[in-house]
Amino acid sequence: MVRDLTFGFGDEPLLDRFSVKVSPGAVQCVLGPSGSGKTTLLRLIAGLERPTGGLVLIDGQPMTRSGVHVPPERRAVGLVFQDFALFPNRTVRGNVLFGIRTSGRAERAARCDELLHRLGVEALADRMPSTLSGGEQQRVAIARALARRPRVMLLDEPFSSLDVETRTAVRAETISVLRDSDVATLMVTHDPSEADLIADDVIRFKPSQTTTKIL
Amino acid sequence: MLKVDSTPRAAWTIASMAAALVVLVPVVVILSSVFRNSDGVWQHLEATRLGDYALNTLVLSLGVCCTAGVVGVVSAWVVTMYRFPGRLVLSWALLLPLAVPPYLAAYAMTDLLQFSGPVQGWMRNTFGLTGGDYWFPDLRTLGGATFILSFSLFPYVYFAARIAFLEQSRSMLEASRTLGCGPLRTFLFVGVPLARPAIAGGVALVLMETVADFGAVDYCAVDTFATGVYRTWYGLDSPVAAGQLSALVVSILFLFVGLEWLLRRSGDRHRATDRANGSDGVRIGRPGRALAILCCLVPLTSGFLLPAGRLAYLAFVGGDGRSSELLGGLVVSTASIAVLASVVAMMLGILIGYGRRLQRNPWTACAALASRMGYAMPGPVIAIGLLICLGWIDHRINDLAAAGGGSWRPGLLLTGSIAALVIGYQARFLAIAVSFVESGLARVHRSIDAAARTLGAGPSRTLFGVHLPMLRTSLLAGGLIVFVDVAKELPITLMLRPFNFDTLAVRVYQLASDERIEEAASAAVAIIGVGLIPVLVLARHVERIRTAGSKGATA
Repeated sequence: MVRDLTFGFGDEPLLDRFSVKVSPGAVQCVLGPSGSGKTTLLRLIAGLERPTGGLVLIDGQPMTRSGVHVPPERRAVGLVFQDFALFPNRTVRGNVLFGIRTSGRAERAARCDELLHRLGVEALADRMPSTLSGGEQQRVAIARALARRPRVMLLDEPFSSLDVETRTAVRAETISVLRDSDVATLMVTHDPSEADLIADDVIRFKPSQTTTKIL
Repeated sequence: MLKVDSTPRAAWTIASMAAALVVLVPVVVILSSVFRNSDGVWQHLEATRLGDYALNTLVLSLGVCCTAGVVGVVSAWVVTMYRFPGRLVLSWALLLPLAVPPYLAAYAMTDLLQFSGPVQGWMRNTFGLTGGDYWFPDLRTLGGATFILSFSLFPYVYFAARIAFLEQSRSMLEASRTLGCGPLRTFLFVGVPLARPAIAGGVALVLMETVADFGAVDYCAVDTFATGVYRTWYGLDSPVAAGQLSALVVSILFLFVGLEWLLRRSGDRHRATDRANGSDGVRIGRPGRALAILCCLVPLTSGFLLPAGRLAYLAFVGGDGRSSELLGGLVVSTASIAVLASVVAMMLGILIGYGRRLQRNPWTACAALASRMGYAMPGPVIAIGLLICLGWIDHRINDLAAAGGGSWRPGLLLTGSIAALVIGYQARFLAIAVSFVESGLARVHRSIDAAARTLGAGPSRTLFGVHLPMLRTSLLAGGLIVFVDVAKELPITLMLRPFNFDTLAVRVYQLASDERIEEAASAAVAIIGVGLIPVLVLARHVERIRTAGSKGATA
């Protein structure tokens, strides 16, 4: 949950008192043109940026308070980047294992296999990311982000780099996996039809908030 | 009738091979010296000194590579990732130690820290101690040489790692953070592994410079292969044994260059530059800021501020009149030999680089590889190879003159001539020229060649009319780097120079050997001043990558 989140300086902050609440299992879309601060919103929730004001609550726990900033590695969030950001020097399995920090080798391997199976990429486990197609990379990125059992899943235009045909199929599967995982999903997109198609609720960033100064 | 276009191409292959001869001839001469008789000197070496040379070189190389590697990588990471006061200034200031050649750092630091130096003097006065009351690190040891070379050479690693970190995709590092890794784990398990090829390249340069270093180890009284070759030639007066020792060094280097080539071929390079890491850095708390500044200031102080500051102090406060009298002449002789050598180097570099572009065959590849190998060879090794070879040519010329029956005897024509010195510099620094020509040519798209050729220009006209004008900046930059390296060069100049021909570096070496470092200070400061030029060039290069990255990140 996000309340009155503000980021930026001066009279026209990039984000001004933005609030949103996502419940577990739900998919919330934030819709807006590029440069309107959608990505920044996700980075604030993940803890990669510090807000200038407002609150980020995950599971009711405040992540930012005056002077206190919970670093990203201690927040239960999963972030899927627009470019997927798979580690090119690790295999698919290595990428997914990276986020699993439970003790016990067998336990970690089992969790990894389960995730790869759920996303339908177990056959690719020993491949390097550079040899995968866009759709395959996307699934691996989702599996990797889920590995930590996040409470909140943040998706940054996750389907924009896929071609139209794969996009429809991957989108449907991804959303169903996320709903089953019982995480609160917040997805940003610039495509209104995509937002309407998959989201339980859509928030629109108003064009009035968008100014060219960001670019 | 159509003219078959084969002669000019063959000519370019031959030309580039001919250019590579400056490296190949000394190498062949050195290797062939194995079959000559050293009158027992080699056996003497083998029984007494050889083990020391090998062990010292090995321990020194390992120590310097590890220390310089850690210092360079950590400082590059801190400067790239965190926001702290003075960050921008420190980010280019960390390149400054490159301006101080290791031998100058050795002279200055020893002067500063020796028993009669200011630091120990201050300690004795303040705490009322006398000599023997306390322990103080001695720089004229293997450990001291490791310290000096590490902090003098770490910028090679810093530079490579900094560029790699800047070009690393920011989302990759953020992914690691959101996957539960703290800053330290992110550094160790994502940042460093992704930058590994670049870091390895930087460490390889440090290794070459360490093995090739002559002045610093000589002053620290650490016997490595480089000083061993010099001593065998100068002290034992046996060029043959020196050549045989050199042959051993060259064989080891062959092994390394081959290994590096293999590793580079198999190593997969990770390109993830779609969104470069142009971030303004993470804000950190006060202890973090202090630690970050410390991580940058310690290497900067040990590698630049202390040695350069000490020499500047000696030059401007304690310097004597006579040294500045001599300085003018030394600057002129150093500058003229360096200009001559860098112009020749760039011309040979064009022959090899452009020959390789025209003709991709084993011969041109061999020429390029040979030039690269020269850079790895210690100066004394190159000098011995040339001395043996030029001496032989001089003898043959005299024999011919004698056979001709006249009374004319040319004596030593080539040995100890300016020409010999320039050839020696080529053998060592041709690699720089070739790499600048190659990287400049790589930026010119092949369709440009095709366009010129279909418009009726032959390879030479294409070179002079199209490529050279486009390469102007690369040629200037390459020439500048060669110029600076020649101006700093010590062992080749020492061994090949004509009588009564001194450069700044030789003068400083001689005075420092006589423990008259105060008188050498102004010449040393002049060398550092020249050395600052490439540092500024490198700093601008990094800055351009950084600003390009931050533009990409905000767009």
